[in-house]
Amino acid sequence: SFRTMLRNGCRLALRLNARLVHVVSVIPTGSRQFSSTIKRSSDNLKGKEQNKAFDTSVLEYLVCPLSKKPLRYEESTDELINEELGIAYPVIDGIPNMIPQDARVVNRNEDNPVSGP
Amino acid sequence: MIIRGVQTDADERKTHFGFETVSEAEKTEKVYKVFENVAKKYDIMNDAMSLGIHRLWKDRLLHVMNPVPGTKLLDVAGGTGDITFRFVDYVRFRLRCQTRRELKSRQSLSWQQIAESYGQNESKSLGGSHAIVCDINKQMLKVGKQKAQSLGYTKGVSWVVGNAEELPFDDNKFDVYTIAFGIRNVTHISQALEEAYRVLKPGGRFLCLEFSRVNNPFLSRLYDLYSFQVIPVLGEVIAGDWKSYQYLVESIRRFPEQEEFKAMMEDVGFLKTEYHNITSGVVAIHSGFKL
Repeated sequence: SFRTMLRNGCRLALRLNARLVHVVSVIPTGSRQFSSTIKRSSDNLKGKEQNKAFDTSVLEYLVCPLSKKPLRYEESTDELINEELGIAYPVIDGIPNMIPQDARVVNRNEDNPVSGP
Repeated sequence: MIIRGVQTDADERKTHFGFETVSEAEKTEKVYKVFENVAKKYDIMNDAMSLGIHRLWKDRLLHVMNPVPGTKLLDVAGGTGDITFRFVDYVRFRLRCQTRRELKSRQSLSWQQIAESYGQNESKSLGGSHAIVCDINKQMLKVGKQKAQSLGYTKGVSWVVGNAEELPFDDNKFDVYTIAFGIRNVTHISQALEEAYRVLKPGGRFLCLEFSRVNNPFLSRLYDLYSFQVIPVLGEVIAGDWKSYQYLVESIRRFPEQEEFKAMMEDVGFLKTEYHNITSGVVAIHSGFKL
């Protein structure tokens, strides 16, 4: 909608403005401030990655909703696996989805996981 | 040999969706769709519909909770995170007061020792407190997590998609369980109450903030008028969704009144159950302990 476009436009303008101000302050003074600009933009990227990353501190509370047994976090597939029942709960955007209907069935043989209903 | 129909129990049992009668499976799906639609405009609509008063209700819930640093909170149907953010603010404030008090009493120590005490508190973010926001709706959680990132509520807060009737948490894990404006949307309320009882530690507290019955007949008339004439219109104008807000006001009327809900809590095993009416009963805070 027009309102969201306006809001986004203002936000972009503010962000660009902030960056411009930072660049201007960098030019006269030397390498120390320059390196802080690089650190700032790399922190931004890190922040975005952190959004997607799964915070494993919640694992000490999480269990499978069906069997109430603990889960294992599989980093390669970004899933929480219940070995006993052979099901995997997906982690999307760093948020684990613990609804049993959204879990997929994992074959006992870890090499060929089979997607379930 | 007994031949049974192919239909599952959930398809056969009927329940209410606002003033409609639907099957239980349908209700869960319809409620999901409602919140999926309103997620982005949820906070704005709350402000518009309650004229900002919902903030006071939520503040009141936190005052009743009165959490200390180190508390483990489970915020069910926590959606956009309003209760959790207030919890974090409350705990941070108490932690600051605590730290200040401790430092005052140690004024005779060396600078190094004081610096060390600062380091200790930083590593235990929120002083050991932790809040988990659990909601069945992914859209609401997404909005909540984004809000958290932009407001700075990332340390000590976790987000989990889960069903209040089948919580993905182990027994005896939490000090406080809250459910604010969520329990009336749950298909099987007693099941949600049982799960709440299960995940609470012994001594843990159950807190429910929910719309309830207005006890004053005059105010009740005014409230009905406002609910059925103004709110759906606001819903259409601001969120472009009349039906979802029609469901909202109907679901409020369908929810059991104060004493009945208190009895449901007691049936599940909660003790020292009580409720506080706010705004003449428009909203009520129910509290119970697992003892």
